[in-house]
Amino acid sequence: MPNDSPRLVVEDLVKEYRLGDRALRVLDGVSFSLDAGESLAVTGPSGSGKSTLLHLLGGLDRPSSGRVRVAGRDLAEMGERELARFRNREVGFVFQDHHLLPQYTVLENVLLPTLAFPRDRPADAAARARELLVRVGLGERVAHRPAELSGGERQRAAVARALVMQPSLLLGDEPTGSLDRATAARVADLLFDLHRELGTVLVVVTHSPEIATRFPRRFELAEGRCAAA
Amino acid sequence: MRRSLRHYWRGHLAVALGAAVATAVLAGALVVGDSVRGSLAALASERLGRIDYVLAGPRLFRAALADELTSEAGLGVDVAPALVVRGTAGRPDRGTRASGVTVWGIDGRLARLYPGEPRLTFPPRQGSLFPPVLLSESLARELSAAAGDSVLLSFESLSEIPKETLIGRADAERATRSLRLTVAAVLPDRGPGGLRLDAGQSAAANAFVELPRLARALELAGRANALLVAAGGHDVAGTLEAALARRLTVGDLGLEVSIDRGTVVVESRELVLPERAAAGVRVLAQETGAAVSPVLTYLANRLEVGGRWIPYSTVAALDPPAADAADRLVLVDGAPAPPLGEGEIYLNEWAAEDLAATPGQELELTYFSLGPRDELATATARFRVKGVVAMAGLGANGTLTPEMPGLSDAESMSAWEPPFPVDLGLIRDRDEDYWDAYRAAPKSFVGLAAGQALWRNRFGELTSLRLTPSPEVDAAALAARLESELPRRLAPGAQGLSFQAVSALAAQGARGATDFGQLFLAFSFFLIVAAALLTGLLFRLVVEGRAREVGLLGALGFPAARVKRRFLAEGLAVAGLGVAAGLAGAVGYARLLLLALATVWRPAVGTSELHLHVQPLSLVVGGAIALVMVYLAIRGAVASLLRREPARLLAGEIAAAGPAGRARASRWLALVLGLAGLGLAAAMLGSGRGSSPALAFGAGACLLGAGLAALAAWARGGGRRIADRLSRAGVLRLGAQASRRSPGRSLLAAALVASASFVLVTVGAQRGGRHFDVADRASGAGGFPLIAESSVPLLQDLNRPEGRRELGLDEEAAAALDGTRVYPLRLVPGDDASCLNLYRPQKPRVLGLPPELIERGGFSFQASARSLDNPWRLLEEDLGPNVVPAVLDANSATWILKVGLGDDVVLDDEAGKPLRLRVVGLLAKSIFQSEVLISEAALLRHFPSRAGYSAFLIEAPPERAPTLTEALERSLAGFGFDAEATADRLAAFEQVEQTYLSTFQSLGGLGLLLGTVGLGVILLRNALERRKELAALRALGFPVRRLQGLLLAENAFLLAVGLGLGTAAALLAVAPHLREQAATVPWPALTATLALVFATGLAASGLVLRGALPEDLVGTLKGE
Repeated sequence: MPNDSPRLVVEDLVKEYRLGDRALRVLDGVSFSLDAGESLAVTGPSGSGKSTLLHLLGGLDRPSSGRVRVAGRDLAEMGERELARFRNREVGFVFQDHHLLPQYTVLENVLLPTLAFPRDRPADAAARARELLVRVGLGERVAHRPAELSGGERQRAAVARALVMQPSLLLGDEPTGSLDRATAARVADLLFDLHRELGTVLVVVTHSPEIATRFPRRFELAEGRCAAA
Repeated sequence: MRRSLRHYWRGHLAVALGAAVATAVLAGALVVGDSVRGSLAALASERLGRIDYVLAGPRLFRAALADELTSEAGLGVDVAPALVVRGTAGRPDRGTRASGVTVWGIDGRLARLYPGEPRLTFPPRQGSLFPPVLLSESLARELSAAAGDSVLLSFESLSEIPKETLIGRADAERATRSLRLTVAAVLPDRGPGGLRLDAGQSAAANAFVELPRLARALELAGRANALLVAAGGHDVAGTLEAALARRLTVGDLGLEVSIDRGTVVVESRELVLPERAAAGVRVLAQETGAAVSPVLTYLANRLEVGGRWIPYSTVAALDPPAADAADRLVLVDGAPAPPLGEGEIYLNEWAAEDLAATPGQELELTYFSLGPRDELATATARFRVKGVVAMAGLGANGTLTPEMPGLSDAESMSAWEPPFPVDLGLIRDRDEDYWDAYRAAPKSFVGLAAGQALWRNRFGELTSLRLTPSPEVDAAALAARLESELPRRLAPGAQGLSFQAVSALAAQGARGATDFGQLFLAFSFFLIVAAALLTGLLFRLVVEGRAREVGLLGALGFPAARVKRRFLAEGLAVAGLGVAAGLAGAVGYARLLLLALATVWRPAVGTSELHLHVQPLSLVVGGAIALVMVYLAIRGAVASLLRREPARLLAGEIAAAGPAGRARASRWLALVLGLAGLGLAAAMLGSGRGSSPALAFGAGACLLGAGLAALAAWARGGGRRIADRLSRAGVLRLGAQASRRSPGRSLLAAALVASASFVLVTVGAQRGGRHFDVADRASGAGGFPLIAESSVPLLQDLNRPEGRRELGLDEEAAAALDGTRVYPLRLVPGDDASCLNLYRPQKPRVLGLPPELIERGGFSFQASARSLDNPWRLLEEDLGPNVVPAVLDANSATWILKVGLGDDVVLDDEAGKPLRLRVVGLLAKSIFQSEVLISEAALLRHFPSRAGYSAFLIEAPPERAPTLTEALERSLAGFGFDAEATADRLAAFEQVEQTYLSTFQSLGGLGLLLGTVGLGVILLRNALERRKELAALRALGFPVRRLQGLLLAENAFLLAVGLGLGTAAALLAVAPHLREQAATVPWPALTATLALVFATGLAASGLVLRGALPEDLVGTLKGE
């Protein structure tokens, strides 16, 4: 695959769920591509298939048909373990819920992804984790447990965790959905800043018009199809 | 509730199964207790048939007494007479031999007491060479004998004259009798074949012979020494004793009343008149106004005056009666003989003339004296001739001498066949003439006190009482009165004639020395606790799965109590179903344990005759306890969930945060327990080799507690470490960290594993048994490599050449004994008090230790009443009337007889009086687990008729033990001499202990297994609780295997901590055992067990994990 091809390529993506005899088509032929450093906001009403799309992009789910290619690699051709490695190396997830593990410190939580494939663990993981924590404003809270952080801090820690493996694809599933407006804005700033600094592809699913309008490219999903917003 | 039950049926099924296991184990253990008790009771009842009471003892009486009692109006008993002797049996043609055989002389009257056993009759002797014998199944097996085979029975000769007297002496030939017989039938052990009057589960070696034939062989025609009574299960003890007293004759009491020229003479067939009988006669004499003249007649080997001597004559010790008595001793001048002073003797006219003796001359009287081991010695006493008495009245009266078998009935003196050596060549014609004219009339007379000082023995100090009636009473009337009154005056019980309520005693004994119900409850403790905890955990899993439901109910305004009641009712319903199923399982579990007891654990019970007996009460009690335990576990689960706020429950949060102060408390607890453990360990190390097991166990237990408290402190503490050094072993660390998530849960899992492995290692380390250094005087064998028993007591001393000769030892056996020392012990037979007996001993065996053994010392005392260099000396202390100091094996005392230092073991002495054996010493792990040890002197005081020695401790170089055993068993086969290596006996006791340990270990192991399942459940709970987290980790790129590894690491951490803590604490607890040089610890087996536990724990976790990780990543992440 030539290096100049888009970083993320989505071709005619279809996702169906079976409900008894009927098939419910959640995504119906979604296609787009994004290059490194580009970002995309996906909006749409509840049940329009936004999160499904994001999960398909991140390799958390498999499409009924169509393709998702990241850095030239087709996710459909990957086995479970390869897909796990792909998620670990290439994708950074930020969920609506932070999913930090309560028994670990903030630093340990950020370092968690480095333990998925210990042999491939970057030598500078710890330094990088600290750096990221400083970058997200938690440099003084590295030894704190999640329970000791505010909601925004937790989500910032989750952002740091998403970036610790230097992914090429940063996916946010309502990353500010559970935060108040001010905090949400700060987390969004952080996401954009880091996306720009690191040159990742950023795809965010959101209900928030304020967040969505900050993206140069936007799709609105309706009845499984996307239209430029 | 029905809908809930149906909807969550999988979870509830698991809860019900947990409750069922707890119930099955708990109630099953109780059913094992029922079964052991029931089996022992059934065994005893089958052996005894209809027999309720037994009279058996040293005294011989008329066999006709049985019919007289049966015909007693209103008594309603059926009585069978029997002659019972101990002996041996053998088949010389096959070379098989059995000792410890009980030979029963019986007739058809015994068959009436076993209505269902037609074989208990002797068939007419058609074509068979020898008379018939019926053998018990076990004896037949031991002899390899079947119907039609001939066997040789050798048994103790019974005699009314005490064997340890000059006239009663018996050499090897006289000590036993034998009969060659043909086996007519083999009787089942579960029935009359197993008839035994003591309590024990092992099969008895019985041989039944026709009563008249055995009586003839023993020269006791018409006599019996046992009465077996069927009373229809009624308590007739009082009326039976009264009827016996009515029917007894003076002859039954061994007494004879005769009239000698107007004097009534009371003698004993035992030669020596027992003191109690003499006292009874004196009372009657006083009541009738008769004058009493006591006499003690003995045999003089020689009377010598001035170089002239008379061989073999009798000498009477008496105080000359009053001058007006009919029974007079008169001097040759016709004057009544004045009383004799000290050292004075009268000669009768014949003797004085023969010796040419005159008053004032010194006379030397030579006689036999008998030592405690039948050592015959010649002694001499010197007297001054006080006068010469006429050959009239007592001066020439043969009735002064009691009937002496072998002497009195001889035609002439040269035809004597006495049981002591006589030189018949010394007998002159003159002596024969005297014998013809006066028979055994004494030729000399000494004062009563002087005679008694020389010739009294432990059986008495008189040979007859001569009663001169008052003038108004006729001698015949006095004799008749004595004959009718004496048996009633002399309490039959005091004469050794009392009935034992054997069926009632057997029922009591069948309750068992050990309550197997309690024992198995203790053994199953971990299993029960593990099952109950598991049930609680499972229920918790069920309710936590419904956390949102609980939250919703709370949010909807349901009061917490009502929600709690709702869940408790549901839990109780499920637990109830589980308990009901568990009761059926209890019977199966009990059956399984009984099967194990009959096979792999057989050494613990020594019988395969244990059958299932179920008492409904045990099921009710077991079920109720299990239900309460499970209820409490369920209640705990519901209560902990209800402590969470509804909002958090609605959000699916179920883990409660522990109070912060707990970590500090745990740290303090760990510190205190740790210091206590170190202190105890230091004390243990300081106390040297004989360090106390209690100290060590305390140190181990403290260490275990400290370790668990430290784990709690760590898990509850909020350690703020910067974990930036995550290495490749990070997963293990993460696992350890993850166990802090639910400190209580993790602690529970680790504590369960630690406690169970503590038990497993403590028990396992002691399972290797030990090598017994029997040559060591301080060992349990006391330095004796051999211990022996003989069915027929030995009267002679095996240490003396004369004794060996009289016992008929061949040269080889005598040579084998050279350089050895045999310590003989007297034995009062009774119930085995060791752990080999399942019955509770009602009357334990008693051994009498001779003075030289007490002097020698040896063995190790675990405790003694006072600290002495030789604690055996405590046996010689006087503790007052009817209290005798006793030493017991500590194990028998604690577990079987259930007594401690200062306690009394009470049994009836020979006179039927309660004898208190006061425990003054406890031996550590000795060969004496089967008996109570007292001094020989005390034994003889309270059991005077116990003649001879039946137990022997042999001090010899251990390498000679096998030769010695072979030589002695061969030479003393007729006595049923059986020697056993003390190491084997100790090993047999050890094997029981080892089997119990194995039982405990097996059931503890099952508990541990259940504990690891519990660990799996904890893991499942953790996994379910963290589904979203795990899904997130998957989203972060963690492969499924890696996540499984993470969760496994968490469990491996808890397992390893639990096993490590438990093992370390256990090794400290058993340190004294490990330091014993003789201890052999089965390290490989122990290590394998622990490894297996670890592997099983991980495997169980792995299985659980297979279904625990979220498949639907997306759904889980969304919280669906």
